[in-house]
Amino acid sequence: MTHDQIDRMVRQANPLPEPSALGPVDVPVLTTERRMDMQTDDRVMDEGGGRNRWRGPLVGIAAAAVILVAGLVFFLTREDNPVAKPAPNATRIDSEPGAPLSLGAYFVDPDGVEATTLGGTFVIGASGWANLASGAIKQVVVGEGSYVSLLVVEVDRVWSQGCQGGVPVVAGTSAEAVADQFAAAGLTTREALAPVTAFGHDGYHLVVEIPAGCANTEGTIWSGGNYPGRFYHAEGQVVEFWFLDVDDTPVMVEASWMAESPEEDVAELKALIDTLVITP
Amino acid sequence: MTTTVDTERRARFEAIWAEHSLKVRAYCVRRVPSHDADDVCAEIFLVVWRRIDEVPPSPKTLLYIYGIAGKVVSNHTRSFRRRSRLDEKLRNLGVAPPADPAFLVVQSSDDAVVADAVRNLSRKDREIVMLYAWEDLPRDDIAEIMGMTRSAVDQRIRRSYQRLARVLEPLIKPIPSPPVAEEGAI
Repeated sequence: MTHDQIDRMVRQANPLPEPSALGPVDVPVLTTERRMDMQTDDRVMDEGGGRNRWRGPLVGIAAAAVILVAGLVFFLTREDNPVAKPAPNATRIDSEPGAPLSLGAYFVDPDGVEATTLGGTFVIGASGWANLASGAIKQVVVGEGSYVSLLVVEVDRVWSQGCQGGVPVVAGTSAEAVADQFAAAGLTTREALAPVTAFGHDGYHLVVEIPAGCANTEGTIWSGGNYPGRFYHAEGQVVEFWFLDVDDTPVMVEASWMAESPEEDVAELKALIDTLVITP
Repeated sequence: MTTTVDTERRARFEAIWAEHSLKVRAYCVRRVPSHDADDVCAEIFLVVWRRIDEVPPSPKTLLYIYGIAGKVVSNHTRSFRRRSRLDEKLRNLGVAPPADPAFLVVQSSDDAVVADAVRNLSRKDREIVMLYAWEDLPRDDIAEIMGMTRSAVDQRIRRSYQRLARVLEPLIKPIPSPPVAEEGAI
Protein backbone atom coordinates (compact mmCIF):
# COMPACT_ATOMS: atom_id res chain seq x y z
CA MET A 1 0.00 0.00 0.00
CA THR A 2 1.52 3.32 -1.05
CA HIS A 3 1.72 6.61 0.82
CA ASP A 4 -0.68 8.16 -1.70
CA GLN A 5 -3.22 5.37 -1.23
CA ILE A 6 -3.21 5.84 2.53
CA ASP A 7 -3.38 9.61 2.13
CA ARG A 8 -6.46 9.29 -0.09
CA MET A 9 -8.13 6.91 2.36
CA VAL A 10 -7.45 9.15 5.35
CA ARG A 11 -8.70 12.26 3.54
CA GLN A 12 -11.79 10.42 2.35
CA ALA A 13 -12.52 9.34 5.94
CA ASN A 14 -12.70 12.96 7.07
CA PRO A 15 -16.01 13.05 8.96
CA LEU A 16 -16.56 16.66 7.94
CA PRO A 17 -14.85 17.38 4.61
CA GLU A 18 -16.48 20.77 4.17
CA PRO A 19 -16.79 23.06 7.23
CA SER A 20 -19.45 25.17 5.54
CA ALA A 21 -21.83 22.24 6.05
CA LEU A 22 -22.05 23.33 9.66
CA GLY A 23 -23.82 26.58 8.92
CA PRO A 24 -23.25 29.91 10.67
CA VAL A 25 -23.46 30.48 14.41
CA ASP A 26 -23.75 33.90 16.00
CA VAL A 27 -20.84 35.27 17.95
CA PRO A 28 -21.19 34.51 21.66
CA VAL A 29 -22.28 37.25 24.01
CA LEU A 30 -19.23 38.47 25.84
CA THR A 31 -19.09 41.15 28.49
CA THR A 32 -16.30 42.50 30.57
CA GLU A 33 -18.08 41.29 33.67
CA ARG A 34 -18.31 37.77 32.32
CA ARG A 35 -14.65 37.79 31.54
CA MET A 36 -13.78 39.00 35.02
CA ASP A 37 -16.14 36.57 36.73
CA MET A 38 -15.14 33.50 34.78
CA GLN A 39 -14.74 30.57 37.13
CA THR A 40 -13.64 27.93 34.68
CA ASP A 41 -10.02 26.96 34.98
CA ASP A 42 -8.39 27.42 31.59
CA ARG A 43 -5.26 25.51 32.39
CA VAL A 44 -4.88 22.68 30.00
CA MET A 45 -3.50 19.31 30.83
CA ASP A 46 -2.01 16.64 28.64
CA GLU A 47 -4.23 13.72 27.78
CA GLY A 48 -3.34 10.75 29.89
CA GLY A 49 -3.33 12.47 33.24
CA GLY A 50 0.39 12.94 33.61
CA ARG A 51 2.66 11.00 35.87
CA ASN A 52 0.92 11.90 39.12
CA ARG A 53 -1.46 9.00 38.77
CA TRP A 54 1.19 6.48 39.62
CA ARG A 55 3.97 8.55 41.03
CA GLY A 56 2.96 7.38 44.49
CA PRO A 57 4.41 3.89 44.33
CA LEU A 58 7.57 5.17 42.70
CA VAL A 59 8.04 7.79 45.37
CA GLY A 60 7.70 4.98 47.91
CA ILE A 61 10.41 3.09 46.13
CA ALA A 62 12.53 6.19 46.10
CA ALA A 63 12.15 6.55 49.86
CA ALA A 64 13.32 3.00 50.32
CA ALA A 65 16.25 3.58 48.06
CA VAL A 66 17.37 6.67 49.95
CA ILE A 67 17.18 4.90 53.32
CA LEU A 68 19.26 2.03 52.05
CA VAL A 69 22.11 3.96 50.55
CA ALA A 70 25.32 2.13 49.85
CA GLY A 71 25.74 -1.60 49.77
CA LEU A 72 26.94 -4.29 47.50
CA VAL A 73 27.15 -3.49 43.81
CA PHE A 74 26.11 -6.21 41.50
CA PHE A 75 26.88 -6.19 37.87
CA LEU A 76 24.88 -7.80 35.20
CA THR A 77 26.98 -10.55 33.71
CA ARG A 78 25.60 -11.26 30.29
CA GLU A 79 26.52 -11.24 26.70
CA ASP A 80 26.86 -7.89 24.96
CA ASN A 81 24.40 -8.96 22.31
CA PRO A 82 21.52 -10.74 23.98
CA VAL A 83 19.92 -13.34 21.77
CA ALA A 84 16.21 -12.85 21.18
CA LYS A 85 14.03 -15.79 22.01
CA PRO A 86 10.40 -16.17 21.01
CA ALA A 87 7.66 -15.60 23.59
CA PRO A 88 4.54 -17.18 22.08
CA ASN A 89 1.03 -16.51 23.38
CA ALA A 90 2.10 -13.37 25.18
CA THR A 91 -0.56 -11.53 27.18
CA ARG A 92 -0.91 -7.80 26.51
CA ILE A 93 -0.30 -5.91 29.74
CA ASP A 94 -3.29 -3.65 30.22
CA SER A 95 -3.59 -3.58 33.99
CA GLU A 96 -2.88 -0.60 36.18
CA PRO A 97 0.80 0.12 36.84
CA GLY A 98 1.88 -1.73 39.93
CA ALA A 99 -0.55 -4.60 39.38
CA PRO A 100 1.17 -7.96 39.93
CA LEU A 101 2.18 -10.08 36.96
CA SER A 102 2.01 -13.84 37.31
CA LEU A 103 4.45 -16.18 35.60
CA GLY A 104 4.13 -16.18 31.83
CA ALA A 105 4.79 -14.32 28.60
CA TYR A 106 3.74 -10.68 28.27
CA PHE A 107 3.44 -8.12 25.50
CA VAL A 108 4.17 -4.43 26.02
CA ASP A 109 3.43 -1.64 23.58
CA PRO A 110 6.49 0.63 23.21
CA ASP A 111 4.64 3.35 21.30
CA GLY A 112 1.33 3.05 23.15
CA VAL A 113 -0.51 2.62 19.86
CA GLU A 114 -2.61 -0.50 19.73
CA ALA A 115 -3.11 -0.11 16.01
CA THR A 116 0.58 -0.80 15.35
CA THR A 117 2.32 -4.11 15.64
CA LEU A 118 5.39 -2.63 17.32
CA GLY A 119 5.83 -4.55 20.53
CA GLY A 120 8.08 -6.21 23.02
CA THR A 121 7.47 -9.62 24.54
CA PHE A 122 9.20 -11.14 27.52
CA VAL A 123 8.73 -14.04 29.86
CA ILE A 124 8.43 -13.63 33.60
CA GLY A 125 9.80 -16.74 35.20
CA ALA A 126 9.83 -15.70 38.85
CA SER A 127 7.33 -14.32 41.32
CA GLY A 128 7.13 -10.78 42.66
CA TRP A 129 7.04 -8.88 39.37
CA ALA A 130 4.53 -6.14 38.59
CA ASN A 131 3.33 -4.04 35.67
CA LEU A 132 5.40 -0.95 34.88
CA ALA A 133 3.22 0.43 32.05
CA SER A 134 5.77 -0.36 29.32
CA GLY A 135 7.62 -3.09 31.12
CA ALA A 136 7.97 -4.85 34.44
CA ILE A 137 9.31 -4.03 37.87
CA LYS A 138 10.27 -6.12 40.86
CA GLN A 139 10.32 -4.29 44.11
CA VAL A 140 10.72 -5.46 47.64
CA VAL A 141 8.95 -4.06 50.65
CA VAL A 142 9.67 -0.39 51.18
CA GLY A 143 12.37 -0.04 53.77
CA GLU A 144 13.81 -3.47 53.09
CA GLY A 145 15.23 -3.09 49.61
CA SER A 146 14.94 -1.51 46.25
CA TYR A 147 13.81 -2.43 42.77
CA VAL A 148 14.92 -3.80 39.45
CA SER A 149 13.01 -2.93 36.30
CA LEU A 150 12.77 -3.35 32.56
CA LEU A 151 11.12 -0.90 30.17
CA VAL A 152 10.59 -1.03 26.41
CA VAL A 153 9.54 2.38 25.11
CA GLU A 154 9.51 4.61 22.09
CA VAL A 155 10.80 7.80 23.68
CA ASP A 156 9.02 10.98 22.60
CA ARG A 157 10.62 13.58 24.87
CA VAL A 158 14.04 13.96 26.48
CA TRP A 159 14.53 16.76 28.99
CA SER A 160 17.14 19.23 27.84
CA GLN A 161 19.14 19.23 31.08
CA GLY A 162 18.65 15.60 32.00
CA CYS A 163 18.03 15.06 35.68
CA GLN A 164 18.41 18.77 36.31
CA GLY A 165 15.25 19.38 34.38
CA GLY A 166 15.20 21.92 31.60
CA VAL A 167 12.53 21.69 28.96
CA PRO A 168 11.18 18.64 27.18
CA VAL A 169 12.78 18.29 23.78
CA VAL A 170 11.33 16.16 21.02
CA ALA A 171 13.23 12.88 20.87
CA GLY A 172 15.32 12.15 17.85
CA THR A 173 13.85 10.12 15.06
CA SER A 174 16.68 7.59 14.91
CA ALA A 175 18.28 5.37 17.52
CA GLU A 176 21.53 7.26 17.15
CA ALA A 177 19.86 10.63 17.73
CA VAL A 178 18.03 9.41 20.83
CA ALA A 179 21.20 7.76 22.13
CA ASP A 180 23.08 11.03 21.74
CA GLN A 181 20.38 12.84 23.72
CA PHE A 182 20.69 10.39 26.59
CA ALA A 183 24.49 10.42 26.50
CA ALA A 184 24.28 14.19 27.01
CA ALA A 185 21.76 13.98 29.87
CA GLY A 186 24.33 14.60 32.60
CA LEU A 187 24.35 11.07 34.00
CA THR A 188 27.61 9.37 35.02
CA THR A 189 28.84 7.18 32.20
CA ARG A 190 29.70 3.66 33.20
CA GLU A 191 29.97 2.18 29.73
CA ALA A 192 30.29 4.67 26.91
CA LEU A 193 27.87 4.82 24.04
CA ALA A 194 28.79 2.14 21.50
CA PRO A 195 27.18 0.52 18.47
CA VAL A 196 25.53 -2.79 19.22
CA THR A 197 23.24 -5.41 17.79
CA ALA A 198 20.75 -6.48 20.42
CA PHE A 199 17.38 -8.19 20.44
CA GLY A 200 17.83 -8.67 16.72
CA HIS A 201 18.16 -4.98 15.90
CA ASP A 202 21.03 -2.57 15.33
CA GLY A 203 21.50 0.35 17.65
CA TYR A 204 23.52 1.75 20.49
CA HIS A 205 24.33 0.65 24.02
CA LEU A 206 24.94 2.88 27.03
CA VAL A 207 25.30 2.22 30.76
CA VAL A 208 25.04 5.07 33.25
CA GLU A 209 24.90 5.61 36.97
CA ILE A 210 22.67 8.16 38.61
CA PRO A 211 25.00 10.75 40.12
CA ALA A 212 24.61 12.69 43.34
CA GLY A 213 22.08 15.45 42.96
CA CYS A 214 20.05 13.52 40.42
CA ALA A 215 18.65 10.87 42.70
CA ASN A 216 15.32 10.87 44.43
CA THR A 217 14.08 13.92 42.61
CA GLU A 218 10.98 14.44 40.60
CA GLY A 219 13.03 15.66 37.68
CA THR A 220 11.72 13.81 34.68
CA ILE A 221 14.41 12.73 32.25
CA TRP A 222 12.31 11.24 29.50
CA SER A 223 8.76 10.28 28.53
CA GLY A 224 7.25 8.11 25.86
CA GLY A 225 4.75 5.43 24.92
CA ASN A 226 2.57 4.55 27.88
CA TYR A 227 5.21 5.87 30.24
CA PRO A 228 4.30 9.43 31.22
CA GLY A 229 7.62 10.45 32.73
CA ARG A 230 10.71 8.70 34.03
CA PHE A 231 12.85 9.89 36.89
CA TYR A 232 15.40 7.93 38.87
CA HIS A 233 15.54 7.18 42.53
CA ALA A 234 18.92 6.68 44.10
CA GLU A 235 22.49 7.76 43.72
CA GLY A 236 24.36 4.83 42.28
CA GLN A 237 21.28 3.41 40.55
CA VAL A 238 22.53 1.73 37.40
CA VAL A 239 20.62 2.20 34.17
CA GLU A 240 21.50 0.22 31.07
CA PHE A 241 20.09 1.39 27.75
CA TRP A 242 19.79 -0.12 24.33
CA PHE A 243 18.63 2.34 21.66
CA LEU A 244 17.51 0.31 18.68
CA ASP A 245 16.30 1.04 15.17
CA VAL A 246 13.26 -1.18 14.78
CA ASP A 247 11.86 -0.82 11.29
CA ASP A 248 12.75 2.90 11.28
CA THR A 249 11.27 3.44 14.74
CA PRO A 250 13.72 4.17 17.55
CA VAL A 251 12.92 1.89 20.48
CA MET A 252 14.63 2.13 23.85
CA VAL A 253 15.15 -0.80 26.18
CA GLU A 254 15.97 0.32 29.72
CA ALA A 255 17.13 -2.05 32.43
CA SER A 256 17.68 -0.63 35.89
CA TRP A 257 18.84 -1.86 39.24
CA MET A 258 20.09 -0.36 42.48
CA ALA A 259 23.50 -0.55 44.02
CA GLU A 260 22.01 -2.60 46.83
CA SER A 261 19.69 -4.74 44.73
CA PRO A 262 19.80 -8.38 45.82
CA GLU A 263 21.84 -10.57 43.53
CA GLU A 264 18.90 -12.87 42.89
CA ASP A 265 16.73 -9.93 41.73
CA VAL A 266 19.42 -8.82 39.31
CA ALA A 267 19.69 -12.39 38.07
CA GLU A 268 15.91 -12.42 37.48
CA LEU A 269 16.21 -9.16 35.59
CA LYS A 270 18.96 -10.68 33.46
CA ALA A 271 16.78 -13.69 32.76
CA LEU A 272 13.91 -11.40 31.81
CA ILE A 273 16.11 -9.43 29.41
CA ASP A 274 17.28 -12.65 27.81
CA THR A 275 13.69 -13.47 26.84
CA LEU A 276 12.95 -10.05 25.36
CA VAL A 277 11.87 -10.01 21.72
CA ILE A 278 11.08 -6.76 19.91
CA THR A 279 8.83 -6.98 16.88
CA PRO A 280 8.45 -4.13 14.36
CA MET B 1 -18.37 50.36 32.67
CA THR B 2 -17.16 49.58 29.17
CA THR B 3 -13.83 51.12 28.24
CA THR B 4 -12.35 51.78 24.83
CA VAL B 5 -9.91 48.93 25.41
CA ASP B 6 -12.80 46.53 26.11
CA THR B 7 -14.54 47.66 22.96
CA GLU B 8 -11.41 47.05 20.93
CA ARG B 9 -10.95 43.61 22.46
CA ARG B 10 -14.52 42.70 21.74
CA ALA B 11 -14.25 43.93 18.16
CA ARG B 12 -11.10 41.87 17.68
CA PHE B 13 -12.75 38.80 19.16
CA GLU B 14 -15.74 39.19 16.87
CA ALA B 15 -13.46 39.53 13.87
CA ILE B 16 -11.63 36.36 14.88
CA TRP B 17 -14.93 34.56 15.38
CA ALA B 18 -16.21 35.67 11.99
CA GLU B 19 -13.06 34.52 10.23
CA HIS B 20 -12.23 31.29 12.02
CA SER B 21 -15.20 29.90 13.95
CA LEU B 22 -16.33 27.63 11.13
CA LYS B 23 -12.92 25.98 10.81
CA VAL B 24 -12.58 25.61 14.55
CA ARG B 25 -16.03 24.10 14.86
CA ALA B 26 -15.13 21.67 12.09
CA TYR B 27 -11.94 20.85 14.00
CA CYS B 28 -14.07 19.96 17.03
CA VAL B 29 -16.62 17.91 15.09
CA ARG B 30 -13.77 15.85 13.64
CA ARG B 31 -12.38 15.02 17.06
CA VAL B 32 -15.15 14.73 19.62
CA PRO B 33 -18.68 13.29 19.58
CA SER B 34 -20.96 15.69 17.72
CA HIS B 35 -23.16 16.35 20.74
CA ASP B 36 -20.10 17.70 22.59
CA ALA B 37 -18.50 19.56 19.69
CA ASP B 38 -20.24 22.88 20.27
CA ASP B 39 -19.34 22.85 23.97
CA VAL B 40 -15.71 22.12 23.21
CA CYS B 41 -15.67 24.81 20.55
CA ALA B 42 -17.17 27.29 23.01
CA GLU B 43 -14.46 26.39 25.52
CA ILE B 44 -11.78 27.03 22.90
CA PHE B 45 -13.15 30.48 22.14
CA LEU B 46 -13.49 31.19 25.82
CA VAL B 47 -9.74 30.68 26.13
CA VAL B 48 -9.24 32.85 23.04
CA TRP B 49 -11.31 35.57 24.68
CA ARG B 50 -9.32 35.40 27.88
CA ARG B 51 -6.07 35.56 25.96
CA ILE B 52 -7.24 37.96 23.33
CA ASP B 53 -4.26 40.24 23.96
CA GLU B 54 -1.87 37.36 23.21
CA VAL B 55 -3.52 36.14 20.02
CA PRO B 56 -1.16 36.86 17.13
CA PRO B 57 -2.39 38.66 14.03
CA SER B 58 -3.24 36.90 10.78
CA PRO B 59 -1.92 34.61 9.30
CA LYS B 60 -0.82 33.15 12.64
CA THR B 61 -4.19 33.55 14.34
CA LEU B 62 -5.70 30.25 13.25
CA LEU B 63 -2.51 28.33 14.09
CA TYR B 64 -2.60 29.81 17.59
CA ILE B 65 -6.25 28.81 18.00
CA TYR B 66 -5.52 25.30 16.77
CA GLY B 67 -2.81 25.10 19.44
CA ILE B 68 -5.39 25.99 22.10
CA ALA B 69 -7.92 23.65 20.53
CA GLY B 70 -5.57 20.67 20.75
CA LYS B 71 -5.23 21.13 24.49
CA VAL B 72 -8.91 21.75 25.11
CA VAL B 73 -9.78 18.62 23.14
CA SER B 74 -7.23 16.66 25.18
CA ASN B 75 -8.91 17.84 28.36
CA HIS B 76 -12.28 16.91 26.94
CA THR B 77 -11.00 13.44 25.98
CA ARG B 78 -9.93 12.84 29.56
CA SER B 79 -13.35 13.88 30.80
CA PHE B 80 -14.96 11.74 28.12
CA ARG B 81 -13.07 8.68 29.36
CA ARG B 82 -14.35 9.26 32.86
CA ARG B 83 -17.84 9.68 31.48
CA SER B 84 -17.42 6.51 29.39
CA ARG B 85 -16.88 4.57 32.58
CA LEU B 86 -20.18 5.98 33.80
CA ASP B 87 -21.81 4.98 30.51
CA GLU B 88 -20.50 1.47 31.03
CA LYS B 89 -22.14 1.34 34.43
CA LEU B 90 -25.36 2.58 32.87
CA ARG B 91 -25.14 -0.15 30.25
CA ASN B 92 -24.91 -2.69 33.01
CA LEU B 93 -28.16 -1.28 34.31
CA GLY B 94 -29.75 -1.60 30.89
CA VAL B 95 -29.40 2.11 30.01
CA ALA B 96 -27.64 2.67 26.70
CA PRO B 97 -25.90 6.01 26.14
CA PRO B 98 -26.87 7.80 22.95
CA ALA B 99 -24.97 6.89 19.81
CA ASP B 100 -23.16 9.60 17.91
CA PRO B 101 -25.19 10.30 14.77
CA ALA B 102 -22.37 12.09 12.98
CA PHE B 103 -20.29 9.00 12.55
CA LEU B 104 -23.27 6.76 11.86
CA VAL B 105 -24.67 8.88 9.06
CA VAL B 106 -21.78 10.59 7.37
CA GLN B 107 -19.32 7.79 6.95
CA SER B 108 -19.34 4.60 4.97
CA SER B 109 -18.22 1.51 6.83
CA ASP B 110 -14.75 1.61 5.25
CA ASP B 111 -14.34 5.28 6.07
CA ALA B 112 -15.35 4.58 9.64
CA VAL B 113 -12.65 1.91 9.86
CA VAL B 114 -10.07 4.35 8.51
CA ALA B 115 -11.21 7.09 10.90
CA ASP B 116 -11.02 4.67 13.82
CA ALA B 117 -7.50 3.67 12.80
CA VAL B 118 -6.50 7.33 12.72
CA ARG B 119 -8.03 7.87 16.15
CA ASN B 120 -6.04 4.90 17.48
CA LEU B 121 -2.73 6.54 16.63
CA SER B 122 -0.79 8.01 19.53
CA ARG B 123 -1.98 11.44 20.61
CA LYS B 124 0.67 13.44 18.77
CA ASP B 125 0.67 11.30 15.65
CA ARG B 126 -3.12 11.44 15.53
CA GLU B 127 -3.18 15.20 15.84
CA ILE B 128 -0.51 15.63 13.16
CA VAL B 129 -2.29 13.31 10.72
CA MET B 130 -5.64 15.01 11.32
CA LEU B 131 -4.18 18.50 10.90
CA TYR B 132 -2.52 17.34 7.70
CA ALA B 133 -5.30 15.32 6.10
CA TRP B 134 -8.49 16.68 7.64
CA GLU B 135 -7.64 20.33 8.33
CA ASP B 136 -5.49 20.25 5.19
CA LEU B 137 -2.75 22.37 6.76
CA PRO B 138 0.72 22.75 5.27
CA ARG B 139 3.37 20.76 7.10
CA ASP B 140 5.25 23.91 8.09
CA ASP B 141 2.14 25.19 9.88
CA ILE B 142 1.69 21.85 11.63
CA ALA B 143 5.28 22.05 12.83
CA GLU B 144 4.56 25.46 14.32
CA ILE B 145 1.36 24.32 16.05
CA MET B 146 2.99 21.20 17.47
CA GLY B 147 6.28 22.88 18.42
CA MET B 148 8.25 20.50 16.25
CA THR B 149 10.65 20.79 13.38
CA ARG B 150 9.34 20.36 9.87
CA SER B 151 11.42 17.20 9.47
CA ALA B 152 9.91 15.74 12.64
CA VAL B 153 6.44 16.33 11.22
CA ASP B 154 7.47 14.68 7.94
CA GLN B 155 8.80 11.71 9.87
CA ARG B 156 5.66 11.41 12.02
CA ILE B 157 3.36 11.51 8.99
CA ARG B 158 5.43 8.95 7.12
CA ARG B 159 5.56 6.64 10.12
CA SER B 160 1.87 7.06 10.92
CA TYR B 161 0.93 6.24 7.34
CA GLN B 162 3.13 3.13 7.51
CA ARG B 163 1.24 2.06 10.61
CA LEU B 164 -2.11 2.81 9.06
CA ALA B 165 -1.08 0.83 5.99
CA ARG B 166 -0.54 -2.27 8.11
CA VAL B 167 -3.95 -1.88 9.71
CA LEU B 168 -5.86 -0.92 6.58
CA GLU B 169 -4.30 -3.35 4.12
CA PRO B 170 -7.37 -5.63 4.19
CA LEU B 171 -9.57 -2.75 3.00
CA ILE B 172 -7.74 -2.53 -0.31
CA LYS B 173 -9.80 -4.53 -2.74
CA PRO B 174 -7.90 -6.15 -5.60
CA ILE B 175 -8.52 -4.45 -8.93
CA PRO B 176 -9.97 -7.04 -11.27
CA SER B 177 -8.00 -7.65 -14.42
CA PRO B 178 -9.66 -6.35 -17.56
CA PRO B 179 -11.32 -9.09 -19.54
CA VAL B 180 -9.16 -10.41 -22.31
CA ALA B 181 -10.94 -10.78 -25.62
CA GLU B 182 -10.77 -14.24 -26.99
CA GLU B 183 -9.08 -14.62 -30.29
CA GLY B 184 -11.55 -14.03 -33.08
CA ALA B 185 -14.10 -12.29 -30.89
CA ILE B 186 -15.39 -8.93 -31.94
